[in-house]
Amino acid sequence: MRANAKTPAGKDTKAVVAERSRPIARRARLDTSPYMFILPFVLFCLLLMLYPVVYSLTLSFREATVDTFVSGDMPFNGLTQYQAAVADPIFWRAVVNTVLFAFFSILFQFTIGFALALLFQLNFPLKNFCLAALLIPWVLPVLTAANIFKGLFNDIGPFNQIFHMVGLGPFPWLAEPAYAFPATIVANIWIGFPFNFILLYAGMRSIPIEVYEAAKIDGANSWKRMVFITLPMLKPVSAAVLMLGTIYTVKVFDLVWVMTGGGPANGTQLLSTYAYQVGFSLLNFGQAAAIATLMVLLVLLLNLVQMVLQRE
Amino acid sequence: MEDRLYLPEFSHRMRTTFATLPRWWITVAALTVMAVLLSPFYWVLVGSFMTPAELFGSQMSLWPKHFAVQNWSVAFGRLWPHIQNSLFVSAAASIGTLLITAPAAYGLVWRKPRGRKTLFAFTLMTQMLPAIVFVIPLFIVFTKINLVNTLAGLTLADMTFTIPFALIMLSAYMKDLPYELVEAALVDGAGQLRAFLMIVLPMTLPGLITVAVFSFLIPWGDLIFALSLITDDSLQPLTLQLYKAFGQYGIDWGFLLPGSVLTAVPAVIFVIAASRFIVAGVTRGAIK
Repeated sequence: MRANAKTPAGKDTKAVVAERSRPIARRARLDTSPYMFILPFVLFCLLLMLYPVVYSLTLSFREATVDTFVSGDMPFNGLTQYQAAVADPIFWRAVVNTVLFAFFSILFQFTIGFALALLFQLNFPLKNFCLAALLIPWVLPVLTAANIFKGLFNDIGPFNQIFHMVGLGPFPWLAEPAYAFPATIVANIWIGFPFNFILLYAGMRSIPIEVYEAAKIDGANSWKRMVFITLPMLKPVSAAVLMLGTIYTVKVFDLVWVMTGGGPANGTQLLSTYAYQVGFSLLNFGQAAAIATLMVLLVLLLNLVQMVLQRE
Repeated sequence: MEDRLYLPEFSHRMRTTFATLPRWWITVAALTVMAVLLSPFYWVLVGSFMTPAELFGSQMSLWPKHFAVQNWSVAFGRLWPHIQNSLFVSAAASIGTLLITAPAAYGLVWRKPRGRKTLFAFTLMTQMLPAIVFVIPLFIVFTKINLVNTLAGLTLADMTFTIPFALIMLSAYMKDLPYELVEAALVDGAGQLRAFLMIVLPMTLPGLITVAVFSFLIPWGDLIFALSLITDDSLQPLTLQLYKAFGQYGIDWGFLLPGSVLTAVPAVIFVIAASRFIVAGVTRGAIK
């Protein structure tokens, strides 16, 4: 490069720009440090994100109840909070519910999202309108979605009205655990399918069209193109969607809190709602923090399982 | 333009992936699927104009016989002060998020400060944490420093949701920034700050809009921080007030449904106005 720039004949513009900008860029780096740009962000991270996370972790090793909180000294008590959390059968109920909730939510969100993404690979009039409209369930505040499904699953609400028309029901949707749990999953599928849809849609779009054309010339029909091109080439995107889906679904709180509050009889109790109850109803912050830590471990575990499964 | 990547005017895939179908038939199919999937949203829109008797009558009604407009006027009157609280918190969180993350995303991506990998990793990691990890410590700390029951405290708490999200999304946009333009400006004597304001910000405007929208919508829909940090009735945001409407004596659907629609208004406006940006932004941020 340098030799090239020195010979007058070979002095192309690229080399000139590179030569000119190098010392100036070095000076610029001195006059305004990059740290000025990130300083507010770093401060925010330290004070409002890292500090709470560390605080929550240390809290899980302390006795933090109303009494100790008011008096101000929250004594260390080792793993007592974890032992107390794990000894509670409701905790295990919440673990099982959280895993099932995540599994069924993601299964259906992904399936619906995938089917829609395939449909939207076609080009048709009003496509962009349909695409935008289908994002509505995802951008709605969770509270709105929760209220909608609280109404739809009402004893005399639309779902039971429809079942009544075909001679079934009425089902005690939100009154009995066996019905309330699937009801919350249905609501969560509704909230989450658009996210799966747009990511898979964009993933399919990014597969080069030439691959399909080549396969077609080689005589692959549309089913074969789907199985041998779309599915394998979509694998990285699918993996990302499933991982994000797991993370988001384990975090779900508002939806279940509003629809059922974790009831009836802990039938819809998730780790998120359980932790909140222990923290803010029982005012046992230490144990709630311990449950929160265990929740993070569960997310890590589920993602690990997914990664292992995907490798096979 | 990035939307061409995701929302092309014309796709050849129709000819290559599937057998050729008349295009309007696909529209009919798509609209049918859409009608089924969006029927819950239709229900809340129409239901907000029904009397409770009609809403949960023996017959399912798809259209209100008489528009119960009083549902709306009552709900709006009761919720207006709380809408103002929500507007304040969401706008403040959105502006604060942009002010913090726009320079940070640019700085981290192009100015390569030390420790940026750690910062990115930390930001990604926080996305994995359940809200309760933040709610309990912030409640305890905010109680000590008197930020509980203040809109400022709620805004700061909401920003723990919006800031990592915004940084991840904006960084994806910043990576596509043609940095030669910034260098050219620096060569021409512009300072770093000036180059940032005059070149980086305008070039990443679609990303900034998307981030502003989401940083508004997330606090607007938040319930868990409001639930734990705000007890004073006059300071409650819209979501919390609506949640509290589940009384001990049953649910006042004539209030709850219009309230739910009101809560959804900004989201629906934004999705219609900015759907192109949202689709492009979400897919970028998540896939990259």
